[in-house]
Amino acid sequence: MAKILVVDDAEFLRVRITKMLTSDGHNVVEADNGVNAISQYTSETPDVVLMDITMPEMDGLTAVKEICTKDPQAQIIMLTALGQESIVLDAIKSGAKDFIVKPFEPDRVLGAINKLLN
Amino acid sequence: MNITILNPFLAAAKEVVQAEVQLEVTRGDLALQRSAFTSQDLTVLISLAGDIEGVVLYGLTTQTALALVSRMLDQEFKEMDAMAQSGISELANVITGRSTVNLSEAGFTCDISPPTLVQGQSIEISTVEFQRVVVPLETEVGIITAHLALREAQASADNMPYIPIQVETASPNGA
Ligand SMILES: [Mg+2]
Repeated sequence: MAKILVVDDAEFLRVRITKMLTSDGHNVVEADNGVNAISQYTSETPDVVLMDITMPEMDGLTAVKEICTKDPQAQIIMLTALGQESIVLDAIKSGAKDFIVKPFEPDRVLGAINKLLN
Repeated sequence: MNITILNPFLAAAKEVVQAEVQLEVTRGDLALQRSAFTSQDLTVLISLAGDIEGVVLYGLTTQTALALVSRMLDQEFKEMDAMAQSGISELANVITGRSTVNLSEAGFTCDISPPTLVQGQSIEISTVEFQRVVVPLETEVGIITAHLALREAQASADNMPYIPIQVETASPNGA
C-alpha cells in the first residue's frame, strides 16, 4: 500500500491507471501537467510518481528535473508514448528510475512500482 | 513526404490499435490531397517538430470513436463526454508517440505536441504548402482516417517550428 502520484494530461489515462492502482491497494493522487505535478509532489509527498512526458503547460521531463533537484530521493517512473533512446537517457539522467512506453501492460507498471517500494 | 515517414507511422498505428483495443488494422488505399481538409465528427491534431515536422490529423465518426473508447476502458460509452474525448485524444497521442519511436530507429528525432481535439463536421483545416498523404486505417468498428502533412525538416532562416495548418475559426457548431 503506497501513495502514487499519477501525472498525465489525459483524464482517460488517469482514470484507467487509478482503477488499476486502487484495485492493487494503493492510494492515488493526480496531476494533469508538470506544474501541478510539482505542487502535488510537494503537498502530497507520494511514495512513487508515474509521469507522462507530452503535456501542456510543462512537460514531464522538465517536471522530473525540478522534482529531483528538490528531492534527490524521488521515485519517478516515466509512463509515456515517447520512447526514443535520447528521451529515455534524458529522463534517467534527470533522475527517473524507470521508463515505460505506452501502450503498457498493467503488470509492467505494477511491477515497476513494487520494485521501487521494496 | 516519402515512404521513410509512412512506414514507421503505419507500423505504429497497427501495433497501438492492436494493443489498446485488440483490433486488427488494415490499410486502405492511400491518397494524396492538397485541398483543405474538411473535418469529420471528430478530428485529433498532433504536430511534430524536429527532424520531421508538420502535423498529423486523425478523423473519425462519433460511432467509431465511441466503439474504440468503449473497448479501451472496457466500459460502454454512449456519448462523447469528456472521458471519451480524452480517450480518443490519448489513442492518437500513443499512435503518434510510437511513430516517433519508429522514426528514431530510422534516424529521425522528433517531438510531438499534446493532442488537440476538434469536434464538429465541415470545419476547414488547410494544410498549406504541400500535399498530405491520406491513410485510411480500417478496423472492424470503422475507419480512422489519418492525414499526414509531414516533411523532413529544412533549414529555415528564422528557425521557427513548421506547423503547416490553418484552422478556420467559424465552426458550424459555434464551438
Ligand atoms: Mg500526454
